[in-house]
Amino acid sequence: MSTMNMIQAVRSALDVMLERDPDVCVFGEDAGYFGGVFRATQGLQQKYGSRRVFDTPLAEGGIIGVAIGMGMNGLRPVPEIQFSDYMYPAFDQITNELAKLRYRSAGEWTAPLTIRTPSGGGIRGGLFHSQSPEAYYTHTPGLCVVMPSNPHDAKGLLISSIESDDPVIFFEPKRLYRGSFDGDPESVPPWRDQPEAEVPEEHYRTPLGQAHIVRPGDELTVIAWGTMVHVARAAIQEAAIDAELIDLCTLLPLDLATITASVEKTGRCVVVHEAPRTCGFGAEVVALIQEHCFWNMESPVLRVTGWDTPFPCGQEWDYLPNRERIAGAMRAVLAA
Amino acid sequence: MEIEVKMPDLSTTGGELTVLKWLIAVGGSVKRGDVLFEVETDKATMDVESAHAGVLKKQLVEPNATVLPGDAIAIIEVSQVRPAMAAVAASVPPVEANRQTTSQPSESVSGVNPNTLAASSPAPPRAGMFAENRAKRAENATTTRSQNEQRAAAPRMLPAEISHDQLAAYNPSFLLELYTRMVRIREFEEGVKYLFLQGSMPGTIHQCQGQEATAVGVCAALRDDDFITSTFRGHGHALAKGLSMDEILLELYGAASGCCKGKGGSMHVGNYDKGMIPAIAIVGGGIPLAAGMALAFKMQKRDQVVACFFGDGATSEGAFHEGLTLAAIWDLPAIFVCENNLYGASTRVNQVTRLNDLADHANSYGITGRTVFGNDVLAVYEATKNAVDQCRSGRGPVLLELLTYRRTGHSRRDACNYQADVEKQAWFDRDPIRLLGDALTKHCDVDATQLKEIRDEIVAQFEVAVERARSAPLPSEDDLITDVFA
Repeated sequence: MSTMNMIQAVRSALDVMLERDPDVCVFGEDAGYFGGVFRATQGLQQKYGSRRVFDTPLAEGGIIGVAIGMGMNGLRPVPEIQFSDYMYPAFDQITNELAKLRYRSAGEWTAPLTIRTPSGGGIRGGLFHSQSPEAYYTHTPGLCVVMPSNPHDAKGLLISSIESDDPVIFFEPKRLYRGSFDGDPESVPPWRDQPEAEVPEEHYRTPLGQAHIVRPGDELTVIAWGTMVHVARAAIQEAAIDAELIDLCTLLPLDLATITASVEKTGRCVVVHEAPRTCGFGAEVVALIQEHCFWNMESPVLRVTGWDTPFPCGQEWDYLPNRERIAGAMRAVLAA
Repeated sequence: MEIEVKMPDLSTTGGELTVLKWLIAVGGSVKRGDVLFEVETDKATMDVESAHAGVLKKQLVEPNATVLPGDAIAIIEVSQVRPAMAAVAASVPPVEANRQTTSQPSESVSGVNPNTLAASSPAPPRAGMFAENRAKRAENATTTRSQNEQRAAAPRMLPAEISHDQLAAYNPSFLLELYTRMVRIREFEEGVKYLFLQGSMPGTIHQCQGQEATAVGVCAALRDDDFITSTFRGHGHALAKGLSMDEILLELYGAASGCCKGKGGSMHVGNYDKGMIPAIAIVGGGIPLAAGMALAFKMQKRDQVVACFFGDGATSEGAFHEGLTLAAIWDLPAIFVCENNLYGASTRVNQVTRLNDLADHANSYGITGRTVFGNDVLAVYEATKNAVDQCRSGRGPVLLELLTYRRTGHSRRDACNYQADVEKQAWFDRDPIRLLGDALTKHCDVDATQLKEIRDEIVAQFEVAVERARSAPLPSEDDLITDVFA
């Protein structure tokens, strides 16, 4: 066991899988020689050679298209898209070619690739380097969508994703790479002080499709993923509310059982995410809760989300859900 | 007075940094731009330069200490203070601007710190240059791989000066204006760099020191009502197209009065009235868009042109192929300006193409392509002027490849340790400002004092602009939801 931040945990997962499975290969823009702009692949080319860990041109559609072809022929590619905002040029390859491959070949072909991509805001990246596009992919049948919120889950979920025979979009909240985030823009609490940074060096799996209860509670349920798990946790502590906090970890397949068990117990729920509100994945979660838990509900479910605007540069902290907004929603849900 | 040096935010994600070693001893004298200490970030080992000249009074952290961005690192006793910098560093009243010649950013290789260079060099320098003629291009297009390899092994040389003959064709006041514009970009970028290093400038920043001639040469050949599209490395394009240092700095600080009302930041500067759409921070994203602008000009029978800036890396994007195809089949008045600085972030251009000249891509679209030495502002101007004439007469589009070099990392947090020593030297010797400055003093009636005065005035304007930008009101919470829909 050693202490890792999230980027080290991601690197460790890639290292373990490159070591264990000769079919695994890692590539992307600056991912080889340079080790990736966030350093997730640092040292891997030196260790495994440039045949398995390599640089690509700036061609996202090409990167994913090539990865699909490799995956169809027995390899297990782990392409990196440098920022999740750069996935749009590859949208056709992902949503048409990749997601529908198994279906349209009646199960004959699959492409078991894991697309790793840093996502989310909090680093003042502006409009094209801060987005949380997970809902585009949860809306596309055929893809698994994963977003870890801490180093231990990042490694375990990434290993499970690479081993999965389904294509996985693996979102890494970039604000969490070097430390967690409690909603204070100035604060980056180092991972080493937190239990989730205890990460085994060796291979282990964190199952896909399983939500984690970060904090048990009875008064209400708060559901979040990625960076917002930490902001929600801080909000719960600060407001001294006995909320049950659920980290979804995998958005698709969704762990509905954990959600319904919690909401049936508490009867109240707040859903928090970074992406814009309208048609965000939170809308799906809320719809499922009303379908499954309606007769146990004490109050309407509220969402705390990014606004329905492009991600602003100068007003990043007004855009992202903060502790105050989450606490306000929790109080409103409790008061109703 | 004493100034506290703070750890810049060199970690992309705001995390911890380790001070590895000090390069200036306590009591040692420091010039602006000297490497103060070496730091380990989440990305790389980086040198951190001093924004101040003076004497290092105290090192506040031991080697191998872990610190956070914004932590105090050192104290420098400064004799002469740049007001904007001082205001950033400490809440002391600014003193009169006074610049030292020794603190000028070096334009020669003597300013290069060998510590910043990697021991292993990725690839030999490429010096593909001056595309010859159409026949040669056709030949190139069918060149076999082995021929390409031979060509790469025997690079053509780039000129190291601008000749008298070149200058003779121009009015000296025009030449001085080109020089001034390039210096404005350089000093703006250098100033922003130091603001970033002092923790005053938020976000990451992609800078264009070394590429000033491409922006200035292209924009000088355009009319005010012609348009440009730009990239995440857009400060130089913006300044060259006539945006002020003020409006760009305001945007960089996220101010409500910035050129994009603070919503864009460094990677999205633009101004409709000056003929620059907000810069596009997705590689290649602006290329089809530029074709569309040009199509509109053509359909509306306006004689404007659009110059679309992008880097060498963008030529791999699908958007490049689609945009050039459309522009070609419709004969659009678009100039596709490929600033080939030899690197897409860390990846050298020869690793992502078999072409020696990226202008050869023009062959596959049946359009004019030219490779030009992009550090020679006059060569860039001439080539663009010809391209503009061609476009305005309905014979566009044109692909221009401008060979240039970025003197800094891809972004402020990139240590840039992938550029080879020999390559850097060759390019620093051909710095665009130095090339024109030397030619002006050698062949025209311009002396070094005059050039220094140009620079000093720009620096003074920059410092005033910084003061204004730092105290400008930020957008309100209500502004967050404006401008999403009509």
